[in-house]
Amino acid sequence: MKTKSKIIYLALAISGFLTSCSNSFLDRPALSSVTSDNFYKTAEDLKKATAALYSGNIWGAWTSDCYLPIGEVLSGNMVLGYNPGAVELNTFSMTGYNSNLVTEWRSMYNLIAHANTTIHAIEERAPNSIPKEYINATLAEAKFMRAYAYFTLTRLWGDVPIIEDNRDLFDHPLVYKNNTSDVYKFVANDLTFARKNLPITGGTWEKGRVTTWSAQGLLSKVYLTWAGLNQSGNRDQALLDSAKLYAGNVCESDLLLLDDYADVFKYQNSDNEESLFALQWPTNGGGWYGGNMLQLYSNALIINGGGGFFGIEVTYDMYLQYADNDLRRKATFMYKDEEYPELNTNLGGLKFTGSSGLKKHIIGNEKDLGLPKMTNTSSPEHTILLRLADIYLIYAEAVLGNNGTTTDGKALAYFNKIRSRAGLNPVSSIDDDALLKERRIELAAEGEYWFDLVRLSYYNPSKALALLEGYDKSRNKIDIDAAGVVTPGSSYGVITAPTINSFKLPIPSSEVTANPHLGTDEPAVPYSF
Amino acid sequence: MLLLSCMKLLAQHGTITGKITDASGSALPGVSVVIKSTTIGTVTDSDGVFTISASPDNVLVFSFIGFKGQEIMVGQQSTINVILNEDVQNLSEVVVIGYAEVKRGDVTGAISSVKGDDLKRTNVTTLEQALQGRVPGMVVQQISGQPGGGVSVQIRGITSLTGGSPLYVIDGVRVVVTGTTDGGMNPLAGINATEIESIDVLKDASATAIYGNQATNGVIIITTKRGKQQAPTVSYQGYTGFQQLAQRLPVMNLREHADFLNARAADPTWNFDARPEFQNPQYLGNGTDWQGALFRTSRVSEHSISLAGGDDKTRYYLSGTYYQNDGIAFGSRLDRTSVRLNLDNQTTKWLKIGTSIQFVNVDDKVSATSSNLISKALSMTPDIAVQNSDGSWGGAHNDNAWIPKTENPFALAKINKDLTNRKQVLSNAFFEVNILKGLVLKNVIGGNFSVENRERFNPSYVMGNLIKGLSDATADYRDVSHSEMSTTLTYNHSFANKYKLTAMGAHEWQLDRSRSISAYRKDFPTNTVQTVGGGDPSTATNDGSKAHRSVESYFGRLDFGYNDRYQFTGNARYDGDSRYAVQNRWILSYSGVLAWKLNNEAFFSSLKNINELKLRVSSGLTNRAGGRDFAYASTLNTVSTGLGGGGVAMVNTDIGNPGLKWEQTHYNNIGLDGAFLDSRISFSVDFYQRKTNQLAMQISLPLYSGTTTQSWPPGPMNAPWVNIGAMDNKGYDFRISSDNVRGKAFTWRTDLNVSHNKNKIVRLNAEGASISNTYNRTVAGRSIGEFYGYVSEGVFATPTDFLGDADKGIEPHARPVRNGDPIPVGPAYGSIWYGDRKFKDLNGDKIIDERDQKFLGSPIPKIQLGLNNTFTYKNFDLNIFFTATIGNKVYNATRQIHEDPQGNSAYFKNLSNYAKLALVDPNGSASDINNVYVTNPNTKITGLRNDQTNGNQRVNSQYVEDASFVKCKNISLGYNIPGSLTQKMHLKTLKVYASATNVFRITHYSGMDPEIGSWDPTNAGIDNGYYPQPRIITFGLNLSF
Repeated sequence: MKTKSKIIYLALAISGFLTSCSNSFLDRPALSSVTSDNFYKTAEDLKKATAALYSGNIWGAWTSDCYLPIGEVLSGNMVLGYNPGAVELNTFSMTGYNSNLVTEWRSMYNLIAHANTTIHAIEERAPNSIPKEYINATLAEAKFMRAYAYFTLTRLWGDVPIIEDNRDLFDHPLVYKNNTSDVYKFVANDLTFARKNLPITGGTWEKGRVTTWSAQGLLSKVYLTWAGLNQSGNRDQALLDSAKLYAGNVCESDLLLLDDYADVFKYQNSDNEESLFALQWPTNGGGWYGGNMLQLYSNALIINGGGGFFGIEVTYDMYLQYADNDLRRKATFMYKDEEYPELNTNLGGLKFTGSSGLKKHIIGNEKDLGLPKMTNTSSPEHTILLRLADIYLIYAEAVLGNNGTTTDGKALAYFNKIRSRAGLNPVSSIDDDALLKERRIELAAEGEYWFDLVRLSYYNPSKALALLEGYDKSRNKIDIDAAGVVTPGSSYGVITAPTINSFKLPIPSSEVTANPHLGTDEPAVPYSF
Repeated sequence: MLLLSCMKLLAQHGTITGKITDASGSALPGVSVVIKSTTIGTVTDSDGVFTISASPDNVLVFSFIGFKGQEIMVGQQSTINVILNEDVQNLSEVVVIGYAEVKRGDVTGAISSVKGDDLKRTNVTTLEQALQGRVPGMVVQQISGQPGGGVSVQIRGITSLTGGSPLYVIDGVRVVVTGTTDGGMNPLAGINATEIESIDVLKDASATAIYGNQATNGVIIITTKRGKQQAPTVSYQGYTGFQQLAQRLPVMNLREHADFLNARAADPTWNFDARPEFQNPQYLGNGTDWQGALFRTSRVSEHSISLAGGDDKTRYYLSGTYYQNDGIAFGSRLDRTSVRLNLDNQTTKWLKIGTSIQFVNVDDKVSATSSNLISKALSMTPDIAVQNSDGSWGGAHNDNAWIPKTENPFALAKINKDLTNRKQVLSNAFFEVNILKGLVLKNVIGGNFSVENRERFNPSYVMGNLIKGLSDATADYRDVSHSEMSTTLTYNHSFANKYKLTAMGAHEWQLDRSRSISAYRKDFPTNTVQTVGGGDPSTATNDGSKAHRSVESYFGRLDFGYNDRYQFTGNARYDGDSRYAVQNRWILSYSGVLAWKLNNEAFFSSLKNINELKLRVSSGLTNRAGGRDFAYASTLNTVSTGLGGGGVAMVNTDIGNPGLKWEQTHYNNIGLDGAFLDSRISFSVDFYQRKTNQLAMQISLPLYSGTTTQSWPPGPMNAPWVNIGAMDNKGYDFRISSDNVRGKAFTWRTDLNVSHNKNKIVRLNAEGASISNTYNRTVAGRSIGEFYGYVSEGVFATPTDFLGDADKGIEPHARPVRNGDPIPVGPAYGSIWYGDRKFKDLNGDKIIDERDQKFLGSPIPKIQLGLNNTFTYKNFDLNIFFTATIGNKVYNATRQIHEDPQGNSAYFKNLSNYAKLALVDPNGSASDINNVYVTNPNTKITGLRNDQTNGNQRVNSQYVEDASFVKCKNISLGYNIPGSLTQKMHLKTLKVYASATNVFRITHYSGMDPEIGSWDPTNAGIDNGYYPQPRIITFGLNLSF
């Protein structure tokens, strides 16, 4: 009987032991990942959180499928074959299934979701021990990113839903489109916060992070674009004035252009003075859609045994824009038989053999840069998405405004700085056409021209349409023969004539299927600020 | 009463002995012999002999499980020999109900049982396969037919948007089904059907609530064989046989392939891709038959030896099994060795101890082709050789960019290595203490532990123009453990001869842990060194993770019976789960059931033909812990950044939801069990309704949420887990068994089960919300995961299709739009032309857009049937087993790919019927609508056009197929060698048999196998090159001595 009691007591004791400490028994925190519960505690944590917004998976697919296909191919600066999505963009045959547009939509909303999550985590969790100024600066970084994304979205699609807190979607997933003008207002609000709370630079603020100049520069572009919205012929003067104000602030800051145009895009000059916002790609690789994939656009560069295969080419219309002595051309496009000794150094330098190819963003292979881990999907280029030269031209355009032509001293000075760096003669007055052409050349292969056309289409659609159609409406490539004579080459199929509707892209079909409120004829609603 | 007892005591006692045998004269050890209305009793020894002291007016009650009891008045006899007859009806069987056992007749919940002997007849690799078609209300669908491949099991429909399998309990211990490795490995693949005594499937809340958390999807209780009180018996069971692919897909041979490509290259809108090697198709042979190259007839065999026996104190069951299955895919193989020891010991009168231990070793060779076998075979065209005459591997040789450089799957199967070894221990130990009369304390501690090592090596190779320059190797290690302990206190009491009471209270804890590490390197100096350490150290990467989860529970059950007529069972369980945030951690499950044995009522006593009639009514609430660990918090991962000269950043990977709660299922069930005509016919029918609230799901929100449930493309955060809605399941399940013939020489028994379940989503998180996948869509008011897309109406074939016919009032057929306008008509790029698919304008707005989609059918069967017939004639037995499903659809994505004229892989034969264009006036314009027509206007296959403007391949009704089927799952024929012969061979029994599995099928489905399972009910029923179940023929031998 003694043994029996012992066994019974033992059984009850084992059982009871756990009961008494059951709370800790059920506490099982994550063992393999950092959770929001134990992060955002120090300034260093906040810095690490916002750093993630500048590169990685958020931007990888975008560099591959959107930056050049939408900015350059859709606008008629370049053509890209053997890529069904890009051919659709080139021929204006794209629909809501177009993969490049889907990726652009997804990428920008991914950036928004990451920015929102970071903003709310910092607002809700950052302790008071972190200086307020620092908290606000990191919030400003995330808001800058969010503004960049919404600005891009609304220029491509017009009315788009504004999502400020992704957790709201848990219970209310089917949102409405918001009015374009409200999207602009939202973007301007975020950038105004960023403008006020981002530092100039220096101190603990790492090189490569956005600054108040980044925010003011982007804000000037936002106001300049917004100024034409829903206008006919003329632009809204108050908004033009705002654009001029913030662009002027940036122009008059300590920042300066680099002396050599080609130097701006060199890896060795990452985050140079001229760069206001650049993606911050690491040097240690990244797989498909995980790294900067822009070097895939060159089939001339050989990286660690692999090459690129998106052989993007210049259009005849773009070719015609360049003056013969324009120094920017060779830094933007490679033409037949041209040599780039600094590329493929391990293979004795690069000599281009096709008719035309991309040079900008083609920064070199593992040997050229001394980065053994790099692949053709992981360019370490700090891709510049906003730079000082752009702001100079925005300033000039804001001054030009509704005047048709200007001889304003400051505007001319900034405009001529760009021309003289390109090896071109200065001008004594600027008109709309000259300005747009200068932008097209200066910012070629930087994904900007489509957005310039959209800005124009807001208030002068017929002119925008004419520019979009190009010199003979056929979007030919160029052919260069052995003697170096350039002629219009072939095109990828029949170009469907664009219409004014072409400036508003179709929302991805899967989105409209999932949320009928996004349908073409569904009305947009005001955003409650 | 008191007086009567006194009188008994006064009666003269004598010693009674006797031997108890079965009908064949074999001694029955372990039979209980009790003096009626007392607790005095004994059991027979190993020779079936008993001795008991009793008085002449005593009545001896002889009882033994599986036999009909007998009562004999002692009288003046001193020797009482008894022959017990086997109980043909299963009413006295014991059913395991969770932390206890009850007699079948006293079962109150909806529980189906399958005996181990029935399972063995089908040649199966896994348990779930064995259960297919045997249990009413249970749908078993193969996810992959590869050896040990995954199986999806649903009991009475789906109650969770994320699927979720039933809870498996083996010998009282839960088995963690942690999903699968990417080879499709099934964690239950280690259990041998030969070792199973019985399987009990708990279906309604009254049965499952005692398991609380995890039991919402039903509970499958597996009881393995244990020793009996008998002389040591050695048994051998073995079979060997072969298996092969039952069906082939109709792929064009080389001549047809060449003809098609020639026609395509010649088409004016295509006008490129002419292939000189195909210039004269008539001189070409059949080319490579890739399905023939990848599939083979392979061997499958199992050998199992067991030793069982015991005395009145200790009983044992020891068995060892070896199983081998060389899959039908070239290069795959599964080997399994296991050893089991089950021990029971009556240590003292009040203490019983016991244990079950099983060691399993599984070696799984996953061929590089076995996971996507069919699609791999179809990715190869017949002009590619398996191996070239110089010994090099065949591969794509056309350098044009649009021809995919596909890997040679046969070569990959030969040269790639992918080996998984898993060592698994399933064990438990218990002790049971009789504290007082009727009061029992039982403690069970158990667990299952597995260690898995996977080694992969992919060498460098050249396959045609595909060159893999760098070899790579991966090594993965994973260990998973589950441990649990339950302490139950049970009180049993009968009083006033009418009332029976059982009460149980218990405490339980469970702890799960897992960890994994993996290592990877590239660039091995040779392909002969294949271990990960042999690669270039500078390419090394590694990863590791660890996880844990715990559950603590308090629970109890009350059983109360009155006069063997009314019975009430109530369960309650309080579970705490570490998965949830503190405020949502604890939850209560409960259920109650009332059973009424109508046949024991006085008014039924006149109906002699009714042996049993029992009505059961139950209701309850169970809870399921949906979601993932830490779903309440956001998680962040480390990534590289180029900021500040290089460093790390922290990126959000999951978006947390602190409000996530338990999924709650309200369950109502009404059932009737009956047996009549001397139990020749028995049946069981249940009607049920389950409503699940707070469905937890990782919700697939639109892209603008920046979250995703897909693993590709990267960039979004993982979708949040949210309680998003409610779902209803209603249905019935019905079983009837009939001994049609009960002759001396000939018997015939039929078992039929029919079940029907109707699933309906009651509500999602918002009005109009949906869960959308490529082919499936889940919305409120319909069943989960129905196919959704456009309706195909053939192809544009006549001018009327484009222009309409004003005279006849025919409108032009609607076309897709671009920028709000219908896409223009013409042969040019970016237009729609003859041969493009016509989609039905469902809303009549004269254009085709997203609003012209509709629901195209459900992958869920409406009715499922199982029909088993067993015949015995003298020493022969024959078993024929059919399963069938009615009303389920499959989206044949394989056909969609290989019937697409724009494709560049293998083509199905019927693609030769593509829409063929011709000119009315051969000299007229080829772009004039009125001058072009389609010569085969009724074709369903689109024309040859190098243009995707019309979206011919959007999800449409053309590929939704009826997948109802009848399958002859198994036929087995056995012969028991007569006793006169076996005795000469010194054997107790000897049986030989032949068995065929997946014998034939009847279906309209055009693919390999209409039976397609999925882990994810919102994305089910898609044939993406699904690995079919093979046909297996085996020959076996069972003997014992």
